[in-house]
Amino acid sequence: MATATVILLDGLAYGMVLFIISVGLTVTMGLMRVVNLAHGGFAMAGGYLAAMMIRAGVPFFAAAALATLAAGILGGIAEMTVFRPLYRKGELAQVLMTFGLTFVFIAALTWLFGTDVKILPIPSYLAGPVDLGFRTYPTYRLFLIVVGLLLFLLVWFVIEGSLYGARLRAAVDNPRMARAVGIDVNRLFTITFVIGCALAGFGGVIGAEMLQLDPFYALRYLVLFLVVVAVGGLGSFKGSFVAAITLGVVETAGKFLFTDIAAFLLFALVFVLLLWRPNGLLPPKSVA
Amino acid sequence: MRRILLGLGAAIAMLVLPGLAAAETVKVGVIGVFSGGFARWGEQFKQAIEVFQKHHGKVVNGNTIEIILRDAGGPDPAKARQLAEELILREKVQFLAGFAFTPNAMAVAELITEAKMPTVIFNAATAVITRRSPYFVRVSFTLPQVSAPIAVWAPKNGIKKVVTVVSDYAPGHDSEQTFIKVFKANGGEILESIRIPLSTTDFAPFFERVLQQKPDAMFMFGPGGPPSVAMINTWASRLKPAGIQLVTTNETQAIDLPKIGRAAIDAIGSSNFTEIIDTPLNKRLRADMTAMFGPDQVPDVATVGTYDGLQLIYMTVAKLGPRPNPDDVMKFWTSGLKWESPRGPIAIDPKERDIIQGVHLRRVKEVDGKLINVDFEIVPDVKDPWKEENK
Repeated sequence: MATATVILLDGLAYGMVLFIISVGLTVTMGLMRVVNLAHGGFAMAGGYLAAMMIRAGVPFFAAAALATLAAGILGGIAEMTVFRPLYRKGELAQVLMTFGLTFVFIAALTWLFGTDVKILPIPSYLAGPVDLGFRTYPTYRLFLIVVGLLLFLLVWFVIEGSLYGARLRAAVDNPRMARAVGIDVNRLFTITFVIGCALAGFGGVIGAEMLQLDPFYALRYLVLFLVVVAVGGLGSFKGSFVAAITLGVVETAGKFLFTDIAAFLLFALVFVLLLWRPNGLLPPKSVA
Repeated sequence: MRRILLGLGAAIAMLVLPGLAAAETVKVGVIGVFSGGFARWGEQFKQAIEVFQKHHGKVVNGNTIEIILRDAGGPDPAKARQLAEELILREKVQFLAGFAFTPNAMAVAELITEAKMPTVIFNAATAVITRRSPYFVRVSFTLPQVSAPIAVWAPKNGIKKVVTVVSDYAPGHDSEQTFIKVFKANGGEILESIRIPLSTTDFAPFFERVLQQKPDAMFMFGPGGPPSVAMINTWASRLKPAGIQLVTTNETQAIDLPKIGRAAIDAIGSSNFTEIIDTPLNKRLRADMTAMFGPDQVPDVATVGTYDGLQLIYMTVAKLGPRPNPDDVMKFWTSGLKWESPRGPIAIDPKERDIIQGVHLRRVKEVDGKLINVDFEIVPDVKDPWKEENK
């Protein structure tokens, strides 16, 4: 029972990290119909920046906030220079361009920091174990779960409760109709893109304990992020959350129970889920 | 001493026999991984070459040694073979060397046999490699060589029950099989053997499984880089508090310790190279590494592998001249060669063309705020146990 709880917690923590990073990707791929394979690059850039700042003496949370902001700004610049001309090009052009951008990220970070793993130091009050009563558990993972939940609630509230959210949902479900009623869809997308990149940067920072930072981060974990978006349903926030948590828990439990086939288990699950619901678990109305 | 004598002899020969030793260029083709995610191996090759050239120059008996680097870009057998072909046919190299990864070394075996190309392995560590061609010689180490001594030591020191956890690829299997065999033969018990897929990012569930078995220790072999760092961190947060020790091979090298951090404390390791080796050559190598490449740069397994590979090639040119017959080279390499490496005395097994060297059993400790590997036992003159098993 104790072990089951620990596995569940590990799965949740892993799922939260996947969610935080992927929620930005669901924006770009689902809402803006841009195949953004460079998404991992923004997460990685955020992580590296925070690691540098923490080493220079900036406190953890300040560094995380600044790195999030910086990833957002980087995203904004990329949106205006690289992505905007791509919106009306075909998917192949987008794949090639954003894949190329990923290589630019990798080369830039290799040049600046070398190919070694960059360790992002976590503050001492989060680093140790915490006593759960039946056994000890790494504090940082509980922190990840809490942060992931809070972030989900925040995103949920903004999407479901605010005017911005209402416009965004409208633009996703039917961009032409949204334009017709006077919503500035382009501007909405730019803002959303920036927020998505900022969230990726944030995920890169706080998830660095699980998804280790090195220049190939952008490629290594890309498949995971894409899987979350595809399984959740393109453009669906709730879907991303459910998918990330499901995949996190199932993969973690699978590794524990069926060590030998753990590598296939995740992809088998994805295969089955997508056969069952080709448009994802909770697709937005426009695709459903 | 031997080198000084060789050098002296050569100098005298040149004085006495002018004109006979016409200056030529000896080309050495080095196939490594100089770009991409595994570039740190190439970095070590390059640094070692530069330091070696600083120590020994680029000229042996008036013959210039030219080193030609080629980038395989990663574990890529087809590319390695193609580069070897190019180096042999177009560049007309006298020696082939390098090889960070086993598949790359295996891929050129047939080719070097056909071309009679003496080839020095600087790093690749799967045991079987030197059996694949009679023109291979290895100066690095083999995985069984570093895995066996720790498996002998463990049962004698309170580690009776072990779960093995290795990365699911050839070197991991090599390491796992050797450890299990030797550990059992010495009275140890293996509770479970877990193979972790290379793509794994979160190791917690695997280690929870280890925790349930309640072993005395976990034997671990990772693929290096981020996954190895994560594995040791996971051990430190989940298994160490429960009193389960960590037994590894090369996972806690000086080059990696700053990345792993204090989580590595108390990890037991087994390696052919540790930072506190007290030979004059190691001290000199260490000092020059930091002077030439910066304060964080420390020699590692592939650095000394490369350094010794070049020592071997320089010795060969000094002895046999710039255009030696390949079979004479192989005869020389299998004549019971011994020399002084930064890691101490090493020798080449005349029968297997593989390295014989001391293996250091050590534990990670924090000394004056710095993490280092502290040797508690040095097992001298270890031959590759796999070859003893598979005669």
